Amino acid sequence: MGRAEDAGGGREPGAGVRRHSLPAAGLADLAAVRAFVAAACDEVGVGTTVGEALVLAADEVCSNIVLHGYGPGTPGPITIEVERAADGARMTIADEGRAFDPADAPAPDLDAPWEQREAGGLGWYIVRRMVDELRYERRSGVNLVTLVKRAP
Amino acid sequence: MEITIDQRAHVTVVAVAGSIDALTADALVLAMGEQMHAGNTRLVAAFDGVEYTSSAGLRVLLATLKEARQRGGDLRLAAVQERVLRVLDLSGFTSILKCYPDVGAAVASFPTHHS
Repeated sequence: MGRAEDAGGGREPGAGVRRHSLPAAGLADLAAVRAFVAAACDEVGVGTTVGEALVLAADEVCSNIVLHGYGPGTPGPITIEVERAADGARMTIADEGRAFDPADAPAPDLDAPWEQREAGGLGWYIVRRMVDELRYERRSGVNLVTLVKRAP
Repeated sequence: MEITIDQRAHVTVVAVAGSIDALTADALVLAMGEQMHAGNTRLVAAFDGVEYTSSAGLRVLLATLKEARQRGGDLRLAAVQERVLRVLDLSGFTSILKCYPDVGAAVASFPTHHS
């Protein structure tokens, strides 16, 4: 520890991985998740377009984990990491809840008239629209979602 | 998130301030539900103070819109900030919800009883 770059001066903005761990994530943690992702994107030196997209994506993914992956009343751990990628940022979100591949989320019908519009599937739809890459892996009981957002 | 209710002559203005997420959306569901159960189905959601929404906010707007219209009223939006408008837009909500530049215009869009 005590690395020179930790002092901040002259540090290359992209260096390192920013990590935020929630031992028992609940909906009350969402505001802190958004604040962490916004700050991390700022620190790794990506602009507000990338930052705002990843903030919204993180909120949606973590909301789903809390509400569906773990379920109400049984909070579990979530770890979020943000790092600089080639021309943007990469974010990974890990949880130990129920296995869920975002590819299985229903696609919302955005052209349906209001009477037939449904709110289901909007979360993952928004995540997809926010990022350039979305990957999912289940690895020894851990859901790992990787999101990449490139600068416009 | 803060919610302020302003009863106008024939329209109820629900002013929201702060961030709408899966935690705070519940308070908005309650507020909208209370108004509709009191018979106030002509609703304007004043969003000038809303700096952020996730899909949780969209869920509330959709549920409120459906119930208001089924009861003969409507939900209309006023003064939506750019960042929130982008989320509404990409989710197809701007084609089912009427958005007005300010609260006055949204309120005036509802016809008065004796006009």
